[in-house]
Amino acid sequence: MARLVFAGALGILLAGCDLPRDPEGTESLVRSRQTIRLGWVSGARPDPAAQATLAKLSRKFGARVERHAGESEALLSELEEGRLDLVYGHFAESSPWATKVHLGEAEGAKKKPPKDRHAPRFAMRNGENGWIMAVARAGSGAAE
Amino acid sequence: MSGLPQPIVHDMRRAKRLEWLTLFWMSSVVVVMYLAMGSSQAMKTAFLEDMLSLIPAITFLIAARLEPKRPSEKYPYGFVRVNSLAFLASAVVLTVMGGLLLFEGVMGLVKGEHPTIGPITLFGQTVWLGWVMIAALTYSVIPPVILGRLKKPVSHRLRDKVLHTDALMQKADWMTGLAGIAGILGVGLGYWWADSAAAAFISLSILWDGLTNMRTASAELLDGAPRELKGPAISQEAKRLHERLQKRWPEATVRLRESGRYMMASVEGVADPGPLPSAAELMGGDPAWRLGHLSFVPPSSPPDDPPDSG
Repeated sequence: MARLVFAGALGILLAGCDLPRDPEGTESLVRSRQTIRLGWVSGARPDPAAQATLAKLSRKFGARVERHAGESEALLSELEEGRLDLVYGHFAESSPWATKVHLGEAEGAKKKPPKDRHAPRFAMRNGENGWIMAVARAGSGAAE
Repeated sequence: MSGLPQPIVHDMRRAKRLEWLTLFWMSSVVVVMYLAMGSSQAMKTAFLEDMLSLIPAITFLIAARLEPKRPSEKYPYGFVRVNSLAFLASAVVLTVMGGLLLFEGVMGLVKGEHPTIGPITLFGQTVWLGWVMIAALTYSVIPPVILGRLKKPVSHRLRDKVLHTDALMQKADWMTGLAGIAGILGVGLGYWWADSAAAAFISLSILWDGLTNMRTASAELLDGAPRELKGPAISQEAKRLHERLQKRWPEATVRLRESGRYMMASVEGVADPGPLPSAAELMGGDPAWRLGHLSFVPPSSPPDDPPDSG
């Protein structure tokens, strides 16, 4: 029994090198559509670090960025329903949206800003862990 | 009854040492789990289970301190039953927590919540938090499984239900860890429901522990016959003692109850019990210290009449 569990665990670990994957398949949809559907909160100042993250993502997936401007409320709802892949805006970590969508790290910040400070961030659909990781990796690479 | 019977003093000391070790190691597990928790429901449930596993150890240590105290004017029968009270309290906590966590897990499934297990930056590297969680869960399994195995034989010798339950719960902790790991890996593979399903499974085990313990604890508080450590069946030692007492005083009604780790016997309807045998003799091959109290009640006259209320 113990050996079986061990073998199973090892199998999963070896197969799991590309973990995590998305339950709703955002990453593979971005790749197959060759498009990143980006919501841009109206009035949000572009941030150089965020631009670099976007460029890196776009290169990695061979996808162009399709911009949709709008109010944050509307854009985040669309993100929640899977009609957008990414939303850019200035969000605070303590925002009430933080439980409904995943808010990434503050772009270009060396230190974590206070929880209630609005900072340039990307928001991603909850649970799309592969996509969330891809955006975070593009972000941390751009910061170097 | 005050102080501890000589034959169990050594084991009691060992049990206390094991429970202090449990507090130390399980606290370290709780800290590690808390640091790695994130927003996974399975991790949260496993974390709370580890936290709950501190309760039996704490109740045992408190009870062990009070048990040898001398009887006082207010507590003329001493404190041997502190153990039972502690046992009931921890059973109730387990049941309530198990129920709440089961509800949360099932609600997560019903609402179709997609848990986010995102990135974490460790030493300048962006790593998936899931791997950190799996490492924490793996660590969380090791101390309880070892401690559980060490405690089980001691709990048998001490006839201690709190310690026994604690040992069993800890021995089964590998299942919690494995369920948690399966939940995280499931989420990693893109199955959003794996997390809530694992959480529900873990909470079921907490609830099950709570309910069985409550059943055993209530039996003792209702002055039920002494029970086996393993479950609600009447203990074999009690059955043998009952038989021996009945054989010696065939005309009497023999009643046994349990008080903490001791058995209390009452032989009713005997006018003159005659010269009394020693506890060792009455207990046969079983440990003599278990017979905590033996009392005789003379027959009411005339027999079968209700006791005089005047």
